[in-house]
Amino acid sequence: MTAGDILLSVKNISLSFGGVQALSDISGDIRSGEIRAIIGPNGAGKSSMLNVINGFYHPQQGEVWFCGEKRGALKPFEIARQGIARTFQNIALFKGMSTLDNIMTGRITRMRANLFQQALWKGKAEREEIEHRERVEHIIDFLEIQSIRKTPVGKLPYGLQKRVELGRALAADAKLLLLDEPMAGMNLEEKEDMCRFIIDVNAQFGATIALIEHDMGVVMDLADRVMVLDYGRKIADDVPEVVRNDQTVIDAYLGVVHETADDSNAAVES
Amino acid sequence: MSPDFLNTIEVIVNGLMTGVMYSLVALGFVLIFKASGIFNYAQGVMALFAALTLVGFQTGQVPFAHLINAVFGSDYHHWSSGINNFAAIVLTVLVMIVFAYLVERLVLRHLINQPPIILFMATIGLAFFLEGLGDLMWGADIKVLDIGLPSGGSLWWEEVTRAWAADNSRYFGMYIDVLDVWASGIAVALVAALTLFSQYTRTGRALRAVADDHQAALTVGISLRVIWVIVWSIAGMVALVAGIMWGAKSGVQFSLSLIALKALPVLILGGFTSIPGAIIGGLIIGVGEKLFEFTIGPLIGGATENWFAYVLALIFLMFRPQGLFGERIIERV
Repeated sequence: MTAGDILLSVKNISLSFGGVQALSDISGDIRSGEIRAIIGPNGAGKSSMLNVINGFYHPQQGEVWFCGEKRGALKPFEIARQGIARTFQNIALFKGMSTLDNIMTGRITRMRANLFQQALWKGKAEREEIEHRERVEHIIDFLEIQSIRKTPVGKLPYGLQKRVELGRALAADAKLLLLDEPMAGMNLEEKEDMCRFIIDVNAQFGATIALIEHDMGVVMDLADRVMVLDYGRKIADDVPEVVRNDQTVIDAYLGVVHETADDSNAAVES
Repeated sequence: MSPDFLNTIEVIVNGLMTGVMYSLVALGFVLIFKASGIFNYAQGVMALFAALTLVGFQTGQVPFAHLINAVFGSDYHHWSSGINNFAAIVLTVLVMIVFAYLVERLVLRHLINQPPIILFMATIGLAFFLEGLGDLMWGADIKVLDIGLPSGGSLWWEEVTRAWAADNSRYFGMYIDVLDVWASGIAVALVAALTLFSQYTRTGRALRAVADDHQAALTVGISLRVIWVIVWSIAGMVALVAGIMWGAKSGVQFSLSLIALKALPVLILGGFTSIPGAIIGGLIIGVGEKLFEFTIGPLIGGATENWFAYVLALIFLMFRPQGLFGERIIERV
């Protein structure tokens, strides 16, 4: 697949939980090699969208196409094996395991030795372990986390945990990386580091990235294209320059003065 | 060295070896609890079932002989005079793997996302079912299990230790059962092998990953079902080792499943989620109950081994409910 081809597309996705409509009739695509941002106010359905893409949720309506094929109702681990890796807003690392082990788990889908070989640590099991370890060390170097290689990740500060989680997702050599608020809760310096890593991951590893982010400055700098959600609907989808000046987007973020002007006046007075 | 001191040492050594056996049973619980959050009440019965199956293969019994004979009026009991120990152990391991697969396929798969109490109840059901199945397959009589491990007191050790005491002190040496030494050695080897496996292989890493965080494990492409089958298989093998050791000591009988009860205080001491905890908890209880019986026992009429472990567990529950090595319980409000 060359850069610019459509890697993943969603068609008319609708998702509801009981009476709550989380996503309604969303279509869009992610092209190979790009950084794609999904933004929107709280509760707009951004994380739901990511969860649909990686299979935690199955939409009631709509289709997901990946690598030119329509995807059935797969389980999250099957989707991971197809080449979609992700990180989480609240960090889902294996807290008791070391940084190295955490990133090694990212390569689990790529290891082939059978149980018997593993039990004896012979043949393929031994070769694989060394080969994948090399790859993981490369990622550790890239993310500049050599010094915490053996530290249990539960003991690391938040910013570093985010970085380890990125490393684990990266280790899968996935076709598509989903990053759920990679910079949430970080200070400015950590944000800058993370920005740099995301750009480098995209440029050096050639990874296609879809990310959710709240920091508008960051999104507008990073992303090639931006999709804006509000109340589960898509209200804009274009390059950052256009989205920035889109009136519906500005309204969604700043709040719009509705017909009931009295209420908003009252709010201002109080 | 004074005879009293040597006697105390003897009690401690024997306590340690008993403790290893407790640890072995507790280990099976911890493995499953860590990987799936299920307290597997059937662990003790699994040890019994594994031991029954092993003896059945060793002696060449026909499985379900009573049932077959009752239905068809036939008279089958043995299909051969038995197979060698190694083949019997391999076959038993295969049976335990099939059992693990069936548990996942028929029980766990249908109870995903149910509250822990439901899963716990399911394992109680499993325990009763397995006990009945063991009875039906291999018969309810007490069986002798002998896989060729040496047993009995070690005369050599008695000689060595006798020389430690003064010549005229009327000390006759320490008693150590060779079978206990073997059992401890095998248990230590088993734990070491499991540790290496979980540290340096893909599946081992996946096991630890699932134990740590289900959601994260799914996103890196680990199938929880496959892992559950593997974990239950490993727990089945641990149960087999425990079943062999306890069965060799006291015969394979249905009360063997009650050793699971002795694992409970071990788990409360060590914490349900810690493998080192299970081992150290087992050792503390083993040594504790022997020493208590030896020192305090005579003052209060003896038979303290029956309740010491539970009282110790109760005290732990009051002061450190998460156990020695368990994850600390922090409630946020």
